[in-house]
Amino acid sequence: MKEFKHVISDPLGMHARPAGMLVKAAAPFASKITVTAPTGTADAKRLMALMRLAAKQGMELTVTVEGADEEKAAAELEAFLTANL
Amino acid sequence: MTTMGFFKNLFGKKAPVGLHAPMAGKAVAITEVPDPTFAEKMLGDGIAIEPTDGKVYAPCDATVDMVFDTRHAVSLTSAKGEEILIHVGLETVGLNGAPFTAHVAAGDEVKQGQLLLEADLDAIRAAGLNTITPMVVCNSDDCPDFKTFTGKDVTTDDVVISTGK
Repeated sequence: MKEFKHVISDPLGMHARPAGMLVKAAAPFASKITVTAPTGTADAKRLMALMRLAAKQGMELTVTVEGADEEKAAAELEAFLTANL
Repeated sequence: MTTMGFFKNLFGKKAPVGLHAPMAGKAVAITEVPDPTFAEKMLGDGIAIEPTDGKVYAPCDATVDMVFDTRHAVSLTSAKGEEILIHVGLETVGLNGAPFTAHVAAGDEVKQGQLLLEADLDAIRAAGLNTITPMVVCNSDDCPDFKTFTGKDVTTDDVVISTGK
């Protein structure tokens, strides 16, 4: 299992667009990818679950990745979050 | 009149079953939305309404999944399991809720046609933003027979999406 943390820097938080982009970034990987915020836990491949987190600027997300391609998935998702959220 | 025609008239014209327009206005293809997040179906397949009125109604019987605290979007889960996102206007997250009033909250059970949100369309336009309102089914990939009905003026009486669920 791989795990990393990301603090949201986008002033608008995880609204519909970044949530959709995150799903798109996570979807190609076979690994199970979970995002935990102070507000709850969501499967990163499920848009509604991610939006339900209502994650705001300044909140710390913990992303766990578990599966055959976890190394690559964790690296790509960390880069994605740094660039987009 | 044929026997079939008689029964058709007796029972009313068979309307498609599905998700009703959430707002009055013109229903257009999701690919016509000038925002790639929606046009490229990143949030799911669906339609958009060019609204003539700011009232947003439930497209079907559903549970309110969440109302964004900026009140510009609402997500619903239908009894059939469709995950529906209605996003009022484009880039409206940045308005921080000012032109929006929410009439429901997360967890509420709503009936088709029930008022969910109200938007001040003039205020959205005054902010330089587009009022076009996408309604997408986030899990459209899981829907067995996804169809949209666009290119016409609609009210909440009109079905704009059928999912086959």
